[in-house]
Amino acid sequence: MSADGRAPAAGPRVLVVTGAASGIGAAVRHAFVERGWTVAGLDLHADASRGIHGVDVSDSTAVSRAVRDIEAEHGVIDAALTAAGHYEMLPVAEIDDERWRRMLRVHLGGAVNIARAVVPGMRSRGRGCLVCITSELAIGGGGGDAHYAAAKGGVIGLVRSLAIELAPVGVRVNGIAPGPTDTPLLAADSPWRDPGFLATLPAGRLASPDEIARTAVFLVEDADFVSGEIVSPNSGAVI
Amino acid sequence: MGAAIARRLSTDGLRVACVDIVDDPGLRILADEINGYAVVADCSDAAAVAEVFVRVQDALGDVDVLVANHAYMSMSPLAEHDPDDWWRVVDTNLGGTFLLIREALPGMRRTGTGRIIVISSEWGVIGWPDATAYCASKAGLISLTKTLGRELAPEGIIVNAIAPGVIDTPQLQVDADAAGVTLDSIRESYAADIPLGRIGRPSDVAAVVSYLSDPAVGSLVGQVIQVNGASTRGRA
Repeated sequence: MSADGRAPAAGPRVLVVTGAASGIGAAVRHAFVERGWTVAGLDLHADASRGIHGVDVSDSTAVSRAVRDIEAEHGVIDAALTAAGHYEMLPVAEIDDERWRRMLRVHLGGAVNIARAVVPGMRSRGRGCLVCITSELAIGGGGGDAHYAAAKGGVIGLVRSLAIELAPVGVRVNGIAPGPTDTPLLAADSPWRDPGFLATLPAGRLASPDEIARTAVFLVEDADFVSGEIVSPNSGAVI
Repeated sequence: MGAAIARRLSTDGLRVACVDIVDDPGLRILADEINGYAVVADCSDAAAVAEVFVRVQDALGDVDVLVANHAYMSMSPLAEHDPDDWWRVVDTNLGGTFLLIREALPGMRRTGTGRIIVISSEWGVIGWPDATAYCASKAGLISLTKTLGRELAPEGIIVNAIAPGVIDTPQLQVDADAAGVTLDSIRESYAADIPLGRIGRPSDVAAVVSYLSDPAVGSLVGQVIQVNGASTRGRA
């Protein structure tokens, strides 16, 4: 039995996780490995010992090549989770074209690229599951978060549309919109770590990457009638 | 749906007190099957709900998880809806859940932890013709959840809601009789309107209850999980 008290799933199943080297992606990778899944990672930082391929998720050619390699090595992909991303706060006038482009290409582009690479296989088998990490900032917005919130909001639109498009072929698509989470994405001096800010949250604390991973396990393994939904473990930041 | 939730939580390792308004042999059989505890009570009756918690406390100890799943459903065009019946829907669904939560709090406060799961409805999110009382009660439950999510999370008591869509429960037979069609035909016609192509099973809702009752997840607060086969897609 794993920490959440449920028996690991029977039989080998394969999950692809982007951003698998750190933060939420690493926690998701760990949770599914513990439950008996084969987990292949995509990350800017390759780590063969943990099955992590060095890929920039904004590069659709590199993503589809990596997914083909993973399928060749492990067989069919049962589920995919997109967690690759970066975060920065900037007033809108200071978001230059390159920063805007990069934010959209990594978060929204990364999710689209994974979907395009894994959906054909899922469609042909009539089952599969996609989970995209978005953000509470896509729902509630945030000062200085224009490009991040726009990219993550795009991910929510993608999730809802893919949920409809892929439901008839048995593929579920959901999002997780964490609030501030205790990952390397939040710098030590991040305003989201400020005790004054945390005191404004109903839960009074950051979410842990393990809680996000537990939510991913729920969506992939147990949420058979849930699709197009955004689950928000955000400490009550957006209710 | 209540039986599926009780079975799932029992599988998860909880002792489950099963409360129902009807003193049906099935209630005792279910409670025996899962080594739980059966209580007959009307959840819209304040004194009865208080008595439930006294008896459950005696039988099983402090309540860690409350699932407010009971409901009364009555449909009518607004102008023709008997006011007493209209209020019975609201008082049972919304008022009864208020009573259950109020009576669960002292035990949860003693332990400094708790999980409260409110069963709302897709109709509480999107509305439905001829269902003003039911929709108002279920939408009220969503606001109750959001407010108590904020109010109680600082104490470690976590409140969330589930909004199921069409689930295969005895209500479908009521719908079939009202439409003058067979049960299978109403199942098929509902399934045709759901993107995933099927209606839900009680165990689908129980799976979400299992997740929301997990003590390891404390950062999901005041949220509504929609379990409806992609029918509404995050609209709550």
